[in-house]
Amino acid sequence: MGLVYALVAYGFQLTYATSKSINFGQGELVMLSAFCSLTLLDWGVPYWLMIPLGLIIGALLGLVVERAAVRLALEQKSEGWILLTIIFGLFAFSLAENIWGRDDRPFPTPIPSDSFSVFGVDLTWLEVSVAIGVFGIMGLIELFKRRTLLGKAFEAVSADRDAAELMGISATQTVMLSYGLSGVVAALAGILISPITTVGPTMAMMLILKAFSVAVVAGLNSGFGVVLVGLVLGALENLASLYLGSGWREAPGLILLIMALALRPNGIFGKATIRKV
Amino acid sequence: MLKVEDLHAGYGGAEVLNGVNLEVKQGTLVALIGANGAGKTTTMRAISGMIKPSAGSVTLEGTEVDGYSASRIARLGLAHSPEGRKIFGPLSVEDNLLLGAYRRLPRFFGFHSQAQGELEKVYALFPRLKERRLQHAGTLSGGEQQMLAIGRALMAQPKVMLLDEPSMGLAPVIVQEVFAIIRRLKEAGITLLLVEQFAKSALEVADYAYVMERGKIAVEGAPAELQKDERVIAAYLG
Repeated sequence: MGLVYALVAYGFQLTYATSKSINFGQGELVMLSAFCSLTLLDWGVPYWLMIPLGLIIGALLGLVVERAAVRLALEQKSEGWILLTIIFGLFAFSLAENIWGRDDRPFPTPIPSDSFSVFGVDLTWLEVSVAIGVFGIMGLIELFKRRTLLGKAFEAVSADRDAAELMGISATQTVMLSYGLSGVVAALAGILISPITTVGPTMAMMLILKAFSVAVVAGLNSGFGVVLVGLVLGALENLASLYLGSGWREAPGLILLIMALALRPNGIFGKATIRKV
Repeated sequence: MLKVEDLHAGYGGAEVLNGVNLEVKQGTLVALIGANGAGKTTTMRAISGMIKPSAGSVTLEGTEVDGYSASRIARLGLAHSPEGRKIFGPLSVEDNLLLGAYRRLPRFFGFHSQAQGELEKVYALFPRLKERRLQHAGTLSGGEQQMLAIGRALMAQPKVMLLDEPSMGLAPVIVQEVFAIIRRLKEAGITLLLVEQFAKSALEVADYAYVMERGKIAVEGAPAELQKDERVIAAYLG
């Protein structure tokens, strides 16, 4: 569970890096992609073919968000993307309610949910699949950023947008790329988590708040820091619901968020930017 | 190679340039000098597309590029080493250089081997960059960062290179080093437009020079003539 928060938080980081903007509708992006993937399964698309298709849908949705909610605001150097991405989220929410209904629906998966025990810890194959998926996609994207020239260009835009433009790197296209990738990440999060939590229009709300806490606590430029914070948050939630009752489940995330904002506004792993003149 | 005609540009409503005309011929080094606030850097920014000119034209090798985005102009072969260097601090020195060659390298794989030749040339010119090639560029000293900014622009194998205030904020010894490099670039036949506050040193290396005053070219000519021009002497060389 914590890893899924981390993955959604990682989606925040991707877009923040290139454009200093965040899609506040990211949770709804997870939800929409999950519903689309579920529909694909209903149409009889096999599970393993559904995954790449679902990811493509996620990427397209990410691009839609960029085009509709972010680009104009960024061009005018306004903060309008905050409101626009929230509106996108609300819109996606009602869209999902109207198309797929309000009820939570189970998400079938061929991965068995029986548990086994490693060093005294009970694990299910589903949980293992989440871990593989999260580390797999984050590893791939980090490799892309470090090993390909386009990935380095991505880093260059986040370091200095103007200078990157002077190298011939189109900042607009890079921001599009980051939203596309962020959409892929959201879609994967949806596919991974849905068999555990079921799919419903309200799944977004909970996810985004947690993921946002993780992103802020870890720092918006921390890379793998989100994984650690995500895991800690997931564990804390389980402990809280175990010892304090399930009503307290949501508490640790919010407390963590408030503490982080008070103590380390740049995040635990965030780097304060140092500039030499 | 590069021709600027009646260029107007500014920030917000305030017009900084009102009708700049200049030309950089292939293989020459042209200096643009003038007092602070005369519009030298704005001229550079308007040429490379960092700000959109409000009127006038910029022609790069026969193509009118005014109104193009900065990235598109860069891909056409104009390398602008901006004021304040603007290197990519969190990236390694070598990554900075590779990105300099972005316009002619494959986007995914094999870019490193394809850039190897040019990379060696730049390292030969700046041995210090080779020593530090894996270091974060942000940890370099000011002089090294300037060398990196010039090296990065060279990596593009540009048709024209704009160098904005390469000596800004550097110790006098390093400034001499920078001018030595500029001389070597000129010998290598690179077409250069140089903006400098050190008018004297700039005139010594230039083939041709323009003096800017309040958003316009006030005087132009061969450096030898300008060095004799009383107004120029009084204002900048005294």
